[in-house]
Amino acid sequence: MFKKILISIIVFYFLVLIQTSFLVHFTIFDAVPNIVLILVIIWNLLEKRKNYLGLINALIGGFFLDIFSVGFIGFYVLILVGLAIFIKLIFKRYVQIPFIDKI
Amino acid sequence: MKLSYKKNKVLIMVVVVILLVFLLNVFQKEVRSLFYSFSAPIQKVLFRAGESTSDFFQGIVRLKTLKQELDELKIENQELLSQVVALENLKKENKSLRQALGLGLQEDFKLSSAQVVGRDISQDFILIDKGAQDNISKDMPVITEQRVLVGKISQVYENSSKAMLISHKESSFDVKIQKEEKDITGIVKGQGNSKVLLDFVPREENLSQGDIVVTSVFGGIFPKGLLVGRIKQIKKSDVEPFQQAEIEPFFHISQTNNLFIILEF
Repeated sequence: MFKKILISIIVFYFLVLIQTSFLVHFTIFDAVPNIVLILVIIWNLLEKRKNYLGLINALIGGFFLDIFSVGFIGFYVLILVGLAIFIKLIFKRYVQIPFIDKI
Repeated sequence: MKLSYKKNKVLIMVVVVILLVFLLNVFQKEVRSLFYSFSAPIQKVLFRAGESTSDFFQGIVRLKTLKQELDELKIENQELLSQVVALENLKKENKSLRQALGLGLQEDFKLSSAQVVGRDISQDFILIDKGAQDNISKDMPVITEQRVLVGKISQVYENSSKAMLISHKESSFDVKIQKEEKDITGIVKGQGNSKVLLDFVPREENLSQGDIVVTSVFGGIFPKGLLVGRIKQIKKSDVEPFQQAEIEPFFHISQTNNLFIILEF
């Protein structure tokens, strides 16, 4: 588990750097694609409900987004963790997606 | 018993997270400064790579419109060249008059160059590679090589700083539109997402599309005469005492490498 968390930290750190420095040149309607948010959503959708690496990833991704933004540290952590909890506890309980459930 | 142990564990974790967030916010300047100092070299490389990749793809996508744009720019260039010649003559005249009156030439700003290393994910903030070590302090204006206003320094770290772009919602400053008969004054307000609005221009003033907006001396935030943008669309209403106009800022993040921070003006 520790190894997985370490890999997540490295991956999310570089993703945030790519998002803030590389992707700023590829805006869609003046907005930069939030790849961290996309990855957290996909991870939590694909992960089994009993596993909680998706929540930890949301925490790590949110932390790095907070570091490279202006607001208070914890803002993106709250948003991403909240989103991960929503997907795991509510969305996946009531919505069944055949393609995802097979994985 | 087992359940209460589990409950306690969750409670401890929640308390630890809250404490950690609190501590991180207390020392947020130091934490961010640490991250920015070792991330800046990587960000610089990524920023340049992004710029060249986007230039390459934009060249392919805009191949059709480039010819038309080139023709328009050629015409504009000719017009500007004639203006430059006229201004050169005025400059010489001004210089000789100043010499005759015993006045010194107006000094330019004291500048410090910087490079963009990233853009804030919440938009309208950029991260530059100069900080407290380079005598940068809060509220210093940031401009480009062409004297285009970019914004002002909002947060200073050890080796880097955050600059708030003029398009940020909290940004507002005095400007003027130079006309032959008389200058029109107004206030430029940031709208977020790289959008800028000109406001508080009296209804009777004659604004026109393409007018150049520059900073004025009244606000005292920025030095006068810095280029802000070009008027894109005018919003005029019979019931409102003031007219507004959408401005197309001259500054664009993907077209700017080097910036300058005005240390003194």
